[in-house]
Amino acid sequence: MNTMIKVARYHLVQPVLFVMLPLAALAFVFAVNAARGGATFRGGLAVIFVLFFGMGVQRIGRWLPFGLALGATRRSFYAGTALLGVSMSLVYGLVIAGLQAIERATGGWGQSVNFFQVPSLPLNGPWYATWLTSFVGLSLMFVYGMWYGIVNRRWGMLGLLAFLAVQVLAVLAVYSLAGLGRHFASLSALEMTGVIAGLTVVCLAGGHATIRRATV
Amino acid sequence: MVREMAGLDEGGPLFAQVAERLAGEIADGGLAEGARVPSTNELAAFYRINPATAAKGINVLADEGLLDKRRGIGMFVAAGARATLLARRRAEFTGRYVVPLLTEATRLGIDADELIALIKETGNEREGASL
Amino acid sequence: MTPAISVTGLTRRYPDQVALDDVHLTIGTETITGLLGRNGAGKTTLLRILAGQEFPSSGSVRVLGSPPAENQNVLRRLVLVREDQVYPDFQVYPNFKVSHALRAASFCYPNWDAGLASSLLKDFGLRAGKAIKSLSRGQRSALGITIGLAARAEVTLFDEPYAGLDAVARQIFYDRLLAEYADFPRTVLLSTHLIDEAAALFENVVVIDRGRVVLDTAADGLRGMVTTVSGPVLAVDSFTQGRPVWERRGLGSQASVVMVGQVSDDDRERARSLGLDLTPLSLQQLVIRASGGSAGAGSLTMRTSA
Repeated sequence: MNTMIKVARYHLVQPVLFVMLPLAALAFVFAVNAARGGATFRGGLAVIFVLFFGMGVQRIGRWLPFGLALGATRRSFYAGTALLGVSMSLVYGLVIAGLQAIERATGGWGQSVNFFQVPSLPLNGPWYATWLTSFVGLSLMFVYGMWYGIVNRRWGMLGLLAFLAVQVLAVLAVYSLAGLGRHFASLSALEMTGVIAGLTVVCLAGGHATIRRATV
Repeated sequence: MVREMAGLDEGGPLFAQVAERLAGEIADGGLAEGARVPSTNELAAFYRINPATAAKGINVLADEGLLDKRRGIGMFVAAGARATLLARRRAEFTGRYVVPLLTEATRLGIDADELIALIKETGNEREGASL
Repeated sequence: MTPAISVTGLTRRYPDQVALDDVHLTIGTETITGLLGRNGAGKTTLLRILAGQEFPSSGSVRVLGSPPAENQNVLRRLVLVREDQVYPDFQVYPNFKVSHALRAASFCYPNWDAGLASSLLKDFGLRAGKAIKSLSRGQRSALGITIGLAARAEVTLFDEPYAGLDAVARQIFYDRLLAEYADFPRTVLLSTHLIDEAAALFENVVVIDRGRVVLDTAADGLRGMVTTVSGPVLAVDSFTQGRPVWERRGLGSQASVVMVGQVSDDDRERARSLGLDLTPLSLQQLVIRASGGSAGAGSLTMRTSA
């Protein structure tokens, strides 16, 4: 536990990166879309999810070597980093839910804008559902990114390609198995969130197992 | 390029050289009896060597009874140390200087009387030069 | 007393080579040991395994009594200074600075001394506010050394930590290392190929060649052990009669022989009278001969227990 705190503190020697970066990205995309005009910005919210993925990759790729040098074990580094990512997801999930609430309350920022709503995904419900789904979604992106970072560390480009290939095969297998494809489409928002949470756990376990023999 | 070690060289174990130099200081009177000998760390810093090496050098002299250890304070030159060292040097004098002198003299065909005369003469010259 | 480092039968294999081959090594607490050998001999691999950053293929490694890999109790009492340390210095803004690295180190090492870190930065002329990605190679080395010394870790490992540092800066490193070691004795393992510069720091030396330990002995035991005797051929041969010899070279009426064995005062006197020149081999020259498997080096193989 002690070590995980140290790892978290290490990541936070530059707190600005955690606070500013996601907000700045959101603001940037929002501003770009606002300048373009139009009522509904599809996929604008995706930027923050992509960002969390990227952060997960970077925290392993660039922060792991010095972390190990400072005496962290691989597993405690993984746990500390994942903990930090999940905590950030909790906070930013709330930020998203909050901004969504404001958007609704102001009738789309006074201009019928729909930035913080994505009808096809479970982000349309009450604020706490948005929070939960965003939290789980951002967490998944972060630990998914971490896993990529670890695979790259251990096996390089070839490893990444193999990793991707395995995932593609898995998705194809799941979808082609009788009826599962349609089953997914008919999932409720809550069930969808549950699936995402499950995937997050898979990534956590996978990343934790894979980092054990990573070298820097 | 060897680090400059205040005169120590790679010719033999460093600890032995440190011991020799300390002994030399005592014999020459630079370190008086009862005076405090530099500490291990001071010697190490001066010669730029490992403190353990310096400690070993000091221990050589301590084992020979030339240094006294006073707990918590340090190492001090033992009573009679100077006398012991000078006696040792005298004993070595014959082997180290007199024998080679005679050997070389014989090689050059200088007999004992001539040798003694040479020594006296050179001795006088030196005295004259130093006045 | 448990040795600080205890390695038995350590082997590390890669697909294309064997980096370490059945290495046995014991290093006591509170010593400075030189880890010497040619580039590619296996020194870096050994240090990284000791620091838990690489894994052995086989054999046992114990640092402070336990295997270091993934072992928090050992790792927080150990620091490895590498010349190729990667810092999180990629981002455009804000830059990861020297001060950030030091801050992170300050809460990871229980004995961290911030005052010493500042003082070392000053000695090396390194500003705390500088971004790490803009540091020169020498400055990166200075940062590594600063962290390594200020950590005051019980086991301090240096892997050729002076890349890019000029001779003056290297002297600063050696002097500071000695001073720190005198104040806070610890187990230091310093790998270097600039042997003569650092020779006086070492209590013990371990020489690695092609993944194997070829020499493991007290440094003082080596000094003066091998001497080059040169002068007139007959005199040289007479002087070296019956003594182990590594090499003999001749040119006309002159000869030069590399002779093993301590030279006594009598020997010196005899050499002088024979008109011979005696030059002891420096530690660097000895190590060069021990690596590269030259004939005779085997007679120097001495193992001392820590």
